[in-house]
Amino acid sequence: MPSAAEIAWLIPLLPLLGAAITGLGLIGFNRTLNQLRKPVSIGLISCLGASAVLSYAVLLEQLGGSPTVEHLFVWASAGSFVLPMGYVVDPLAAVMLSLVTTIAMLVMVYSHGYMAHDKGYVRFFTYLALFSSSMLGLIVSPNLLEIYVFWELVGMCSYLLVGFWYDREGAAHAAQKAFVVNRVGDFGLLLGILGLFWATGSFDFQGIADGLAAATSVGTVPGWAALTLCLLVFMGPMAKSAQFPLHVWLPDAMEGPTPISALIHAATMVAAGVFLVARLEPLYSQFPSVGLVIAVVGTITCFLGASIALTQMDLKKGLAYSTVSQLGYMMLAMGCGAPVAGMFHLVTHAFFKAMLFLGSGSVIHAMEDVVGHQPILAQDMRLMGGLRKKMPITAFTFLIGCVAISGIPPLAGFWSKDEILGQAFSAFPILWFVGFLTAGMTAFYMFRLYFLTFEGTFRGEDKALQQQLLRAAGESIDEEEEPHSSGVLHESPWSMTYPLIVLAVPSVLIGLLGTPWNSLFGALLNPEEAIEMAQNFSWRGFLPLASASVAISSLGITLAIFAYYLKRIDLGIQVAERFKSINSFLIRKWYLDDINEKIFVQGSRKLAREVLEVDAKVVDGVVNLTGLLTLGSGEGLKYFETGRAQFYALVVFGGVIALVALFGVLGNPPPV
Amino acid sequence: MDANLPAMAASQAPFPWLSLIVLLPAIGALLMPLLPEVEESNALNLPRNIAIAFLLADFLLMLTIFGRLFDTQAVGLQLVERVSWIPFIGLEWSLGVDGLSGPLVLLSGLITLLSAAASWNLESKTRLYFALLLVQASAQALVFLSQDFLLFFLSWELELVPVYLLIAIWGGKRRLYAATKFILYTALASLLILISGLALALSGNDFTLNLSELTNRSPSGSFGLLCYLGFLIGFGVKLPIFPLHTWLPDAHGEANAPVSMLLAGILLKMGGYALLRFNVQMLPDAHLQMAPALIVIGIVNIIYGALNAFAQDNVKRRIACSSVSHMGFVLLGIGAIDALGISGAMLQMISHGLIAAAMFFVTGSFYERTKTLSIPNMGGLAKVLPTTFAFFLTSSLASLALPGMSGFVSEITVFLGITSQEGFTPVFRAITIILAAIGLVLTPIYLLSMCRRVFFGPRIPALAMVEEMNPRELTIGLSLLLPTLIIGFWPRVAIDFYEASTNGLAEKLISHTLVTLNQATPLS
Repeated sequence: MPSAAEIAWLIPLLPLLGAAITGLGLIGFNRTLNQLRKPVSIGLISCLGASAVLSYAVLLEQLGGSPTVEHLFVWASAGSFVLPMGYVVDPLAAVMLSLVTTIAMLVMVYSHGYMAHDKGYVRFFTYLALFSSSMLGLIVSPNLLEIYVFWELVGMCSYLLVGFWYDREGAAHAAQKAFVVNRVGDFGLLLGILGLFWATGSFDFQGIADGLAAATSVGTVPGWAALTLCLLVFMGPMAKSAQFPLHVWLPDAMEGPTPISALIHAATMVAAGVFLVARLEPLYSQFPSVGLVIAVVGTITCFLGASIALTQMDLKKGLAYSTVSQLGYMMLAMGCGAPVAGMFHLVTHAFFKAMLFLGSGSVIHAMEDVVGHQPILAQDMRLMGGLRKKMPITAFTFLIGCVAISGIPPLAGFWSKDEILGQAFSAFPILWFVGFLTAGMTAFYMFRLYFLTFEGTFRGEDKALQQQLLRAAGESIDEEEEPHSSGVLHESPWSMTYPLIVLAVPSVLIGLLGTPWNSLFGALLNPEEAIEMAQNFSWRGFLPLASASVAISSLGITLAIFAYYLKRIDLGIQVAERFKSINSFLIRKWYLDDINEKIFVQGSRKLAREVLEVDAKVVDGVVNLTGLLTLGSGEGLKYFETGRAQFYALVVFGGVIALVALFGVLGNPPPV
Repeated sequence: MDANLPAMAASQAPFPWLSLIVLLPAIGALLMPLLPEVEESNALNLPRNIAIAFLLADFLLMLTIFGRLFDTQAVGLQLVERVSWIPFIGLEWSLGVDGLSGPLVLLSGLITLLSAAASWNLESKTRLYFALLLVQASAQALVFLSQDFLLFFLSWELELVPVYLLIAIWGGKRRLYAATKFILYTALASLLILISGLALALSGNDFTLNLSELTNRSPSGSFGLLCYLGFLIGFGVKLPIFPLHTWLPDAHGEANAPVSMLLAGILLKMGGYALLRFNVQMLPDAHLQMAPALIVIGIVNIIYGALNAFAQDNVKRRIACSSVSHMGFVLLGIGAIDALGISGAMLQMISHGLIAAAMFFVTGSFYERTKTLSIPNMGGLAKVLPTTFAFFLTSSLASLALPGMSGFVSEITVFLGITSQEGFTPVFRAITIILAAIGLVLTPIYLLSMCRRVFFGPRIPALAMVEEMNPRELTIGLSLLLPTLIIGFWPRVAIDFYEASTNGLAEKLISHTLVTLNQATPLS
């Protein structure tokens, strides 16, 4: 019998097969297939289940010390160039495979309940399977180009799923924004991959690292070029893992169905950037300044996410900014040269954040029965409150998630976040301090979410408040809407609560696998480092930092209790009124969306319109020769006299000429 | 069993398979005047059914020939036929196929067939329409297959006539303007092709029109350069290259969808094919000199086309501008003068042929239902036409070079071709790649914003009840998108077809670099 690693290629292939069959079925026999909901979901969950079993087997083998398995084949070739593709199974891949298959399976079970009334049920499951397959493919990719392939595919699935409810204007914009912002990151990633190929002639991680080390030491590739290439590649993870300033797509992506927010935009795909940086560790470890950039970007992101999360009123958006912030922590770890710590936080965060998102989905599902299907109402915490009594399982698991993310021992978040902060403390003390403050903010905003949602009294039946919220969002008020409002809050069905309970277990316990004195996780990913860490461990070094983080988290929680549970402090009056500019700075999300809209969206539209004008009036005219005639008749002259168009025409042609001149100087073609 | 049969067949001249490919549709066209005119669309539309039958037979014939008789390992021409036709001007009926033309012949066979099937509901002058389509099928096969310059030129011109008429008779409101512009651009440009070709034919010791013999001349110096420029402008109009592209949005804007499929799927590819066949294969020295210029034009195409596309408010004009942008990658690949680049350019032609045809087909399919192509007037179509939406989105994603689809493989190959071309300085390569990659950011902006504005959002009441794609339309869409997916997953399917030829072409270019270098050494 072959070892599990030998047949690991089946792990991404099984969900792909499932998705392909249902996808073709949806095109060919749409009506029939849409009636076969149960068979489809059971079939796809079994596909993923089989992948999960295989992944666990692979993980067990790796825990038992099996060597890395890699298989390659020639995918494309031209002349002497061959492009290999294939798969690799090593400890890092094994951990990620198990993580992704587990969460994807739970999310699928959950979706059975969450999407029960949706017409697109089958399509949703097809997309989910397609996403799982792409994500699993990304994990087992042995080289950068194959990573790029799956990188784009997970991006596409994210696009499809964010835009799943395509009749919602918001979803359409969010999906497009997610894709385009990610393409900006991929632009850098692709340039970096091509540049590294130019410098080293290789695509695989170790080959690139060795090649670049050799090339810089010989001097064929100057140091600044090597640095630039490393940073270009990092643009990919910046977009995918929502790092400042490319994080803008992630909060908007919450327009997608909540199971998607849990799977793609919290647990797996957004972590792909962190995963890629971990994969590139042999490359990045050569350049300490790249590490510094990564750490700084991570810290800014971490602080930015938490600060915006403080003021969010939308439950999902609050969680989304929290995800941005936590991804910042992971990047900080990567920048400090501690990929094991970053990966450990990735794993713990995946469990508790998936649970939090699924919990929020359960809340929204219940709210929809009272306030209708509009996200502006169903997700706004001003209409929630007191839900704990109606939905105890959701509330309890959500509370576990809040404690876990706040870094209270012995729950998962404590161990992983504390390890990152410890690493940051020894590498960049200033960044540690920002991360430390953020930990306090995290605890505060998470408990703020919990109290506003689950404690106090239920405010959902307040029609005046609903109208006010709708008006604020600029939505027209539909009087006849509310076809399906039963008006009764209820706990979600078993298919939704069961995954919550399952996820609560690792959220509590998994941190114990990565205690600094005996880290099983470290021993798997990097045995030497783990032994070293265990040897260097001393309570005297650990306790002060750990108690400081626990203290600041407790402070945050206490503040939240006073403000939102006991209602002793009114933050709205005491803080928000006093520091108006800071408050609006946070509410407007650091004005980044406005800047983005002004410069990039409007700018590109304007540029395109002007280019078209030039094309229609100048290029077309000149080539047609009719331009000359209209010039004579004065019609075209008028156009030219406006000056602006002339200027742009000059820019376009000047650009062409400059490019021609450029190749004359730089082109240096082989003959001559 | 008669054991003598194969031996006898072998002793005779080989069967003229390629001529059969060329002539079969023409025979169908000759039948058309004999058929009764059909006034309304129904299942018994004889001209349509016969045209589809002939095109299907032709396509199956191509599949058989390329599957059974074509040797993918061979570098040179295969299945060569040479019959003297008009000896007095040296015109020969000379056909042959290699890896450069083979895939394109197959592509054009497929797309013409699907285009005929997409014209199912055509209601006016069906006999003429389908006759023109069949003539077009013959002419375009002849363009790719002819190995005699004059024959090539004649077919190049012949193929303009049906397209002109197809736009001018069955087009939109400004059809005459668009058709005239199309014919003026291409016909004037053809003059340059004729002059360059005849100049080449006359340049040697003896007059010849045979392409293989012309290829062996490979003139150098300013004469070669002049011929090169003539060809470049002549073929560049078809590709199209900046600034000769402005006929394309007009033609696409006015032509009906099946004719747009032909334009985007086949006609543009003739430009790319002819550049490879004439400029690269015949004039390698001039090409080595001009390659950086091609790259510069390619970049302008990519960025300029994309920006234009973003500003277009008409679905078909937007896709037309996206073609300008995508064909920039063909220029880039040809300009990269290495095996990877040329292979990428070939694959980009095949891939764009399939994808652009798919986009135009789906556009035509919903235009039949909505009667509008204006993006601001649409919205929420996905709610009414979910399958159409799926097809349009898939072809958009293919067009923006999503991995798993053929466009990604071809564009990444072109990028790698530029990256690994040691003949250019690193700075030139870096700038080229950065600018071309900007195109990769612009493509999703204009394609996805079109998808969003046409298909996403709440349903608009004007488009209340329209019917979803029928099985015929599903089949056409799948016939275009499945190959893109297959090539995207397993590119060797397509690459193996032409790899021997593109590698041969690249080797020839390399040997010319060596020759010029060797000639230069004594001087230095």
